[in-house]
Order: sequence, then C-alpha cells, then structure tokens
Amino acid sequence: MRFLHCVHAEFLLVAPRLTRTRLGIALLALGTTLVWLGAHALDALTVTLQAGALGSIIGVAAIVGDETDRVGLTTALSHPTTPHAIAAGRWLAIVVPASALVLVCTTAIGWRTNLVFAGVLASAAVSGFGMALVLWLGRGAALAFFLFMAVAGTVPPERLVDIARPGIVRLAAASAMELGPALWHYRDIADGDPGAIVHALAWTGLGILTARWLISRSR
Amino acid sequence: MADFALTLTDISDRRLGPLSLALLPGEIAGVVGPAGAGKSRLLRVTAGAVRPRTGDVRVWGMRVADPAARPLIGYSADPSTFPRGLTVQEVLMYYARLHCAASSERSPRGLVRDALETAGLAASADLLVDALGRADLHRLSFAQAALGGRRVLLLDEPFSGLDAFARRDLRGRIARLAAEGVAVLITSRDPAALERLAARVLVMRDGRIVRAGPLATLLGERILEVILDAPPAEPPPGFRLTAAGLEASLTGRTVEAALALCRAHRLPVRASRVRVKSLEEVVLETQDRH
Repeated sequence: MRFLHCVHAEFLLVAPRLTRTRLGIALLALGTTLVWLGAHALDALTVTLQAGALGSIIGVAAIVGDETDRVGLTTALSHPTTPHAIAAGRWLAIVVPASALVLVCTTAIGWRTNLVFAGVLASAAVSGFGMALVLWLGRGAALAFFLFMAVAGTVPPERLVDIARPGIVRLAAASAMELGPALWHYRDIADGDPGAIVHALAWTGLGILTARWLISRSR
Repeated sequence: MADFALTLTDISDRRLGPLSLALLPGEIAGVVGPAGAGKSRLLRVTAGAVRPRTGDVRVWGMRVADPAARPLIGYSADPSTFPRGLTVQEVLMYYARLHCAASSERSPRGLVRDALETAGLAASADLLVDALGRADLHRLSFAQAALGGRRVLLLDEPFSGLDAFARRDLRGRIARLAAEGVAVLITSRDPAALERLAARVLVMRDGRIVRAGPLATLLGERILEVILDAPPAEPPPGFRLTAAGLEASLTGRTVEAALALCRAHRLPVRASRVRVKSLEEVVLETQDRH
C-alpha cells in the first residue's frame, strides 16, 4: 500500500507539467500531425503505434530528461520512498498521457479496440526503455530515440539491414532491431500475436527495473 | 545509544575519515573547513545517500539505511534541486505525500502547512520554484528537510550566498527547531555564519575532523587590538601587524602587561580594545597548523 502511495505521488508530478511546460503542447502537436497523416498518408495502425511510442518519448524527455529532475532524485530519495516506487511512478506519468494520445488519435481516425491495445502496449514498452535510456545518457538520447522510432523503427530489420554493409555491422543492426523496441514488431500486437505482446511487456519490465537501478545509483 | 539523536561510528570511505561523532537531541553542530575538506561528503554519508566503506550511521539507534529511519532524518543538499514546473506548495506536497504513504496519522496538507510556516515560505507558496530567489530556494530546501517533523536535520551550506537578513532569519528558524529537540548537523564554508548558531564546531580537512569542541571553548581566547598612529617597523615580541596597528593573544598575559610592552617600544598608541577570537581565526589557525 505504501509503495502504491509513493507511485501515486510520483505520477501526480505530470499534471502541472502538462499545462506549465512544453509537454502538453508537444503532445497536442504530435496528435494533430498524426491525425492529419492518418487522413493523408499513414494507415490507422501506424498512427496509433506512433502516437503511443512518440508520445512516450516526449513524455520521457519531459518527466526524467531534465538535468534538475535527475539531480533532484537525491532529494526525493532522502524522503520515505524507494527507487522502485520512483521508477514505477514516473513510468506511469509517461505512459498515461501517451496512452491518452493513443485514445484521442484512434477516436479521430476511427475507433478499433485492437489498435488501441497495440498503441498502449507500444507506449508501455517505449516508456520503459526510453526512461532507462534517458536516465543513463541524458536528454540527447531522447531525441535520437525519437528519430529512430519515427523513421527506422517502423521498418522491419530485414529491409533496413539490406542497405547496411554486410558483416558485423549488419548483424549488430539486425540484432538491435530484433531485440529492441520497434514499431514494426508491435504491429503484430493488433493481430493478437503473443510474441509481440511478450516483447512489449518484457521491455516494460526491464525498462522499469533498469531505471530503478539507475535511480538508486543517483542517491 | 538511543539517547543520541545521531551517531557516526568509525566512518571511513575513499575520501572521508576515519571519524566518529554523536549528536544529542536539540544540539546544533557546525562543520567548517575549506572547499574539498569533505563536509558535503560527510553529510551525504550521514544521510545514507553514500554507503561508507566502514562504520555505522545510526539515527535514534536505527541504522540510517533502515526505511524506518528515513522519516526521522532530513537532508538539504547543496545546491538543492526540485522537480521542474511546480510551485513551492506543490513541491512540498510531493514530498509530503511520500511521508504520508509511510504513516496515515497526518494529512499531506497539514505537513505542507507546517513546513511552509517553519521555513517562512507562506507568502511564496504559489510561486513557481524556477522563479524563486536564492533566499527562498534555501528556505524551500530547509522546509523539505524539516518536513514531517524530522528529528535530525543535515543542512549542507544553508547560508551560502545569502545576505545578512536572510541569514539571520534562517538562523532563527534553525535555532527554533533545535529548541524543540531537533538535532542539527550543518556545514559552512564560512565559519562566521555558524558563530551565532552552532553549540559545537568540527573543523574538517582532507576528510578528517582535525579539531572539535564547544564553540565557547574554541572562542575562549582573547585578543588585544592596538590601533597606532603610525605602524612600527617591527612588532614587539608576541604581537603581529594588522592594517590598523597590532594585535596579540592575551593567553598568559594581562592587557596592562601587553600595553606596557607597547609603551616600552615607544609605539604611538591611539586606542586599544579586547575582543574574543573569531571562529574564522580559529579555523584558519587550525588549517595552517595541519
């Protein structure tokens, strides 16, 4: 119960940021762009997956990306909380607005429950991975991850590695894209593929646990 | 052991110690020393933020790593950073919710109200943290450390960059908490800031405590200041030159004897006064000796 109270306290940090920082306006701009693209260029599944993934990365940059947020963890940990509660609470603070964006975009382009499910799971996985990445490498990593997800992450690895040099680079690129969170992988969630669902859930858990470890090191 | 609010026993790590100290409830101990002396490291170890290689930190008999000790010990880091985009009240509410998660005896709102009052921040409650001045940031840091009725406070450089009025105000607030039984360990690069607050002073250098004692004992030495119309070519034995004339320690001699020595050297004495040695002088002497 105490753990959940601490998670809730962390989650509540998102509400003021939606209105007082660029987080709210950035999510709004992303949603508008994706809905427009959905009407002109992208299919509905791509729109919901991009809304979940890119919304999460914007959330990661806003919730844990700032230097003061990362330095401030030392102060937070001097209060009765745990690194695990902070990681889980901030993950939730990232996922909930991104999932809301998925709901809004899906509603705008035509509601389908399986699309929402895929978008929310993609958001959960990308939030977990992104939070750990940004806690480790800083805000710049969020930008690189955003570009990767927006462009390369939508393409299956066999198509991407075709353009890379053969050998070790090709193998590394294929492995990274196979193992890491990528939208081509999560398209199958909409069809109920258990492998894709497990992949997303695994990155969610692994991301939160890694973030927990990084937060405990910032004491 | 539990009679002490805070005990550090044989603490050492790469850049600290070995050192031991104990604080009684209501005691204010000041840690002074130059930058890099290990003051902040000492506080981080005491707060449980850094695990020492050897030794044990206990708060009211409980190990500081014990989750039950966390609501008892407050830590204000230097510099303090808080979640972005929040007002003073929201920042304190965030921490207060963490305290109320551990105990449902009090409401977060009550804790925030008390913390605002303790730190004198009620007028700034609705200001964004990003817009706060230095004095209010220090007060906020103090407020979050004291939040929830903590019994031990660790304050890292709480007076740095504050003007005399803000320093006096914060000093008064810390003293009031100590009067209620809160033990305070406080660091300062500027010894003068602690002179009117700390009952005990620890002088640190290279991660070790090189001198410690009650403030009254450390400041017990009296100094005779002699203002001269013209500076002498050479000071009499036991005197040293100052900008206005001479000064000498009165340890082992009377004022009359010291002034007689000046007259014997035919020095043009305009005025003289006796003062106690300042904490800054004590610290500098200690540093020079080591």
